[in-house]
Amino acid sequence: MVNLTINDKQVTAPKDCTIYEAAKLNGIKIPILCHDKKLKPFGACRMCLVEVEQMKGRQIPSCTTPATEGMIIRTDTPEIIKARKLVLELLLLNHPLDCPVCDKGGDCDLQNLTYDYQVDSNRFVDSKFQHEIDYNNPLIERDMNRCVLCGKCVRICDEIVAFGALTFIDRGIETKIGCDFEKPLDCEFCGSCVSVCPVGALLARPFKHKARFWALTNHNSVCGYCGTGCNLTLGVKDNKVLTTVYNENQGFHKGQLCVRGRFGYQFINSENRLTTPLIRKNGRLTEATWDEALEIVATRLKGGNSVAALATPRLANEELTLFKKMMLDNIGSKNFDNSAGYAHAALTEGFVRSFGSAASSASILDIQKSDLLLVVKTDTYETHPVIGFEINMGVKNKGIKLNILSDKRGKLSKLPGANTQVHIPGAEVAVLNALCNSIIDQKLADDSAVSLPGYPELVKALAGFTPETVAATSGITAESINKLAADYASAEKALILFPTGLGYAGHTADLATAVANLAILTGKFGKEGCGVLCLSEKNNSQGAVDMGFYPREGGMNALQILDACTSGTVKTLLVAGENPLTSYPDNAKVKAALDAVEFLIVSDLFLTETAELADIVLPACSFAEKEGTYTSTDRRVQYVKPAINKIGKSKSDFEIISSLIAKMGGTPPVTPAVQFAEISANTPGYESMTYATLGNEGAFAPVSINPVFVVPVAAQITAAQGKLALVTGSVLYHNGTLSQHGEGPVHVCPDAYVEMSRADAISSSINDNDLVTVSSSSGSLQLKAKVSLRIPEGVVFIPYHFPAAPVNKIWSGSAVTMVSLSK
Amino acid sequence: MNPITPIINGMSITFKHMFLKPVTLQYPTERPKVAARYRGLQGLKVSHDKAKCVACYLCPTVCPAKCITVEAAEDANHDKYASKYEIDLLRCIFCGYCVEACPVDALKMTSEFELASYSRKDFIYSKERLLEKQ
Ligand code: SF4
Ligand code: SF4
Ligand code: SF4
Ligand code: SF4
Ligand code: SF4
Ligand code: FES
Repeated sequence: MVNLTINDKQVTAPKDCTIYEAAKLNGIKIPILCHDKKLKPFGACRMCLVEVEQMKGRQIPSCTTPATEGMIIRTDTPEIIKARKLVLELLLLNHPLDCPVCDKGGDCDLQNLTYDYQVDSNRFVDSKFQHEIDYNNPLIERDMNRCVLCGKCVRICDEIVAFGALTFIDRGIETKIGCDFEKPLDCEFCGSCVSVCPVGALLARPFKHKARFWALTNHNSVCGYCGTGCNLTLGVKDNKVLTTVYNENQGFHKGQLCVRGRFGYQFINSENRLTTPLIRKNGRLTEATWDEALEIVATRLKGGNSVAALATPRLANEELTLFKKMMLDNIGSKNFDNSAGYAHAALTEGFVRSFGSAASSASILDIQKSDLLLVVKTDTYETHPVIGFEINMGVKNKGIKLNILSDKRGKLSKLPGANTQVHIPGAEVAVLNALCNSIIDQKLADDSAVSLPGYPELVKALAGFTPETVAATSGITAESINKLAADYASAEKALILFPTGLGYAGHTADLATAVANLAILTGKFGKEGCGVLCLSEKNNSQGAVDMGFYPREGGMNALQILDACTSGTVKTLLVAGENPLTSYPDNAKVKAALDAVEFLIVSDLFLTETAELADIVLPACSFAEKEGTYTSTDRRVQYVKPAINKIGKSKSDFEIISSLIAKMGGTPPVTPAVQFAEISANTPGYESMTYATLGNEGAFAPVSINPVFVVPVAAQITAAQGKLALVTGSVLYHNGTLSQHGEGPVHVCPDAYVEMSRADAISSSINDNDLVTVSSSSGSLQLKAKVSLRIPEGVVFIPYHFPAAPVNKIWSGSAVTMVSLSK
Repeated sequence: MNPITPIINGMSITFKHMFLKPVTLQYPTERPKVAARYRGLQGLKVSHDKAKCVACYLCPTVCPAKCITVEAAEDANHDKYASKYEIDLLRCIFCGYCVEACPVDALKMTSEFELASYSRKDFIYSKERLLEKQ
């Protein structure tokens, strides 16, 4: 702590803070324009000038000057005010002053400071800037005439987002912010730069001219896309979510969002939303009343074991538990599942076996506290971008070592010092086994490991996985395997991350056990900065697991349910929010199952490809319209209140299930809160949680770990001559099939594509954007080609989100599918 | 006081008025002279063949009766304009704050005072009805 005198007031502040921070901590306001608490001090604008007696009363920027013992500081002498006014006059000199048409009006730091300091005239005369405005992309408008050169956009894009799209170009009065070679902006469109820009130089186009900031009602919420569980603020006017509002104090991520969270909200008020129940009459879906629809559904559901259900892990915990209760108690069927049955297997089977608990033993907050990160698949930056930001900040600011084990390179591989080992697709488990082998061999295992159950069996099983043998089949040298092993084992704190999801068929229980063995072998779990973080795909994937919405005690899993539909054992299928036709493997099989099942009920926001086949479609509502809790990938349980009224006649799945239970003669809970009380009474880790205690921050559900070594089964890879290995997955801009209804993601990544290496493109004489036919044993698909440097030779990558070109036409769920390309 | 005095006083005033110019207008045959500062129906000013209004949302914000609805849009040149501008005269209190708030002098109050109508919806003045006639 240091002692300071600010404006004659004796104050104390922590040792490592700046004068600005010290003043802020003590409630003294110093105006800023270029400073942001998330970014490194910069000192570009000179709004924050203060006088320090020890520095001979010179005016110095408080945002870059460390506070030292005994400083006597003044923040508001007439000279300082004069200097600040001068700064503003100079900024306003070339500034267009088009506040009436500028969307930043009312939320603009320059406007506010001009008002505060009453700069109503200018002593200088000069012409206004005449920079060309960048309207080239549909998401971010760049009007450099309004820029005050604070550099926040440049810094956030580099320091946090790690994209580096923007920089200062030219010198002196000509200086402006631009992209390389003054090209239009073409980046990952996370919108971070827009959120920190203090003026209207960077604006969100989807929100352009929609409303003034003061006309919006802000509602705290939680992002409805991926499992990171970012907090967001929805800006609402006239029952419409018009934008997401930046709040630098929100969540562990301090208001940072990815393109989906920031620009993907349009699905909420989309014109394509279903607004009324539909019943198939004479082969056509026709509008019906809720009563009519629910009556039929309730009758159909009385079929015991011939009824099955698939639900999306985007439903709230309350809905999932109620759904499960209805299946078990009111219908009498154990056949229900989510995420095709395999996207949660890493948790429900892998971690259950290895850790005795279906949850990750680390949290997102551990990332920055670790010394070494081992990331399995570089996609972490694409599947969970905000976790990618955390990794980036850890690597750049804290010197955390980053090792990556993946079948392709990605954004993470570009981080400074990142060591990426690219293996042949499908070899991940073998490589992880080789790492364990090498650790034991190098005598780097933790002393506790030997006494744990399963150790002898593991050692025996690992005998076949020496670095040398695995090197021959995995494409990674024995030396690199030994190095990876030594790095991991000798780091004091190390964390492993791997994504799971519908696109990652290879990320199974075996991968989870292989990863868990590594952590258990080195004792790197249950401690700060250590553990294994399985990154779940959807906003409530972990919740669906915690709520037990997957088959246990003899129930069928998702893929078995579909088989049973084809064979006729399942007669009624209730699908809540899932879109198996696009997102589950093997399109033909799914289609056959949905066609064969006697009665198909779908509740969804949209008339998806799956809903189009249904006998009854029920309009459900989005996260912004309902109350409930969601559990993020690291078991942070967060409570969400409705931000808008329900669209049309849509109902929440909670209401739908409640009415069905009532129609079947049961007594449903009155409110989600009642259901949550039941959850907290019955779910390990959720004890003592209530809506009130969750508050805005949410609360972590602790995980108890009981480590055991389990031998994972490594996949056999059969290379086929002249064929390429297909890996599927998620792209940065999308999440599931829901993001197809968000303007942002769709503008940035409108269609599916097939990504391949330059070498493969040359050998098949394929150019960028060529239409290519990709064929596998199960079918073929026409896609645009994308030639890139990140894909190794012999591999092609296709994202799975697109109904117009569903990858499941050529992919039937195996970890690696061999395909051939033709033009 | 003599009880007759007030009556005489009253009568004398009445008598005096018989020789003064009448105050009452024989409306509608006789028209009033409206002062320049009169706050009647709003009008949207026109410049370069377009409404001057740039849809800044200040008038709906300042309006105490909350009777102005503005919706902004972007034209082909990326300029902001009011795709919808509506005043609900049933709620307007003719305070003139909207005119005062307008940063681009796009709004004025005219001398138009005959605003009666037979149906409620006729009191909603759309952009077309408010545009200055030239
Ligand atoms: S950036 Fe701020 S000061 Fe400049 S025109 Fe926009 S609102 Fe006005
Ligand atoms: S949107 Fe994100 S990636 Fe693009 S320039 Fe802004 S901060 Fe960088
Ligand atoms: S564009 Fe905005 S954030 Fe970037 S330097 Fe200019 S004013 Fe600052
Ligand atoms: S999609 Fe995931 S990473 Fe992106 S904002 Fe939402 S929760 Fe955060
Ligand atoms: S204040 Fe003027 S420019 Fe702004 S919306 Fe009203 S009329 Fe239009
Ligand atoms: S805020 Fe300190 S120099 Fe800009």
